[in-house]
Amino acid sequence: MSAAELAVLLARVADGDAAAFQAFYGRTSPKLFGIILRILPERPEAEDVLQEVYVTLWRKAATFDPARASPITWVATIARNRAIDRLRARPVGRHAPVEEAYDLADDGPAPDAGLALSQEAQRLHAALATLEPRHAAAIRACYFEGVTYDELALREGVPVGTLKSWVRRGLIRMRGALQGEAA
Amino acid sequence: MSLPPDSHGLEGLTALEAEAMDFALGAGSRAERKAAELRLLSDPAFRDAVARWQALLSPLDHDTPEQAPPAAVWQAIAADVTPAPLKAPVKAEGWWHNIGLWRALGLGGTALAGLAAALLVLPAAPLAQAPTEAPAAPTPAAALVATLVDGEGRPLLAAALDAGRGEVRFAPVAAPDGPAGRVPELWVIEGNNPPRSLGVIDIAAGAAHAIPRARLAGLKPGAVLAISIEPVGGSPTGAPTGPVIATGALSAA
Repeated sequence: MSAAELAVLLARVADGDAAAFQAFYGRTSPKLFGIILRILPERPEAEDVLQEVYVTLWRKAATFDPARASPITWVATIARNRAIDRLRARPVGRHAPVEEAYDLADDGPAPDAGLALSQEAQRLHAALATLEPRHAAAIRACYFEGVTYDELALREGVPVGTLKSWVRRGLIRMRGALQGEAA
Repeated sequence: MSLPPDSHGLEGLTALEAEAMDFALGAGSRAERKAAELRLLSDPAFRDAVARWQALLSPLDHDTPEQAPPAAVWQAIAADVTPAPLKAPVKAEGWWHNIGLWRALGLGGTALAGLAAALLVLPAAPLAQAPTEAPAAPTPAAALVATLVDGEGRPLLAAALDAGRGEVRFAPVAAPDGPAGRVPELWVIEGNNPPRSLGVIDIAAGAAHAIPRARLAGLKPGAVLAISIEPVGGSPTGAPTGPVIATGALSAA
């Protein structure tokens, strides 16, 4: 389903159209549930957050601005933020060990849905590939697992300042690569 | 707040840009995220910077395998937002859709909650229909109140249920003057059960509606009230068929 079609559905949701809401849920919930599960691997908790996200979407659909983000980016961002907030609200020390973070770096794109990687995903992967592998892995661990700089620094055995520098330098380099500038 | 230049991990990186990328990436602590959320509300430059980083990172989501959630999640969402997905939405018209009018009454959620509680102690207005048995003594323990809100969370009206008397009252909102042939119907949803009708209602000033006590028996805080717009005489199917204009969870008075 195209971004334009999703945006139309969202506009109808904003008008209180329950059928459009159900259709929107059908189209987007597997993606959002996947995102949430990587941050909160325990299914009951992930289901709880997914429910929260869609109740929020129902109420806030009118605030979606197609000029600022694509519909899927908008809802995925809400889902990630909710999942991370839930993660932050519980005690520390319940995260995957560092080896798994490295595995993530080698995962590559998921083979699901039979979809070819979009052009922008390919460009982003190319940009990530220009980084030190350890720096790229740190960015992926933050993004996919929702770990904090502090936790990741502990896992990596480096000072927090060093870890932040890896990630931020990496992100700026990625941006440069995506913009076609010399990074 | 000013930090030493190297605390952002990179020479020349502004504090705003560092905070924006941290928030978009999700790497901040709970306190840092709360601070960033506040800044998002008040600082357009920060909002734009966060949006740029989110857009840059979002293609990473292609790497995440999709996972179909269990059906129970949708059922819980549907129960939360509206009693039942509408198969054929009815064109919205009439006084009950005049949200502006209802909002103009200036009743916020807190005021409505107080109003709902006050409804319980009002002198009983004439019942819309005579109860089939002598009124029992009021039983305050059984009283439940709800603030009903529209689909976007805006409070519309307050309701108070008195299971002991077998009646429901609404905060005065407006005189009904909608088109003929449509009436509001009150529903209650308990857990994941389908909506159960409490009958056709007349949302008029101070009116008390008689409702068979059996229908109110056993209602607990957390059950959800909903109002839909139905043909005269109520839904022909036993389930809501028209637009749902308001919902709200019951709580103890």
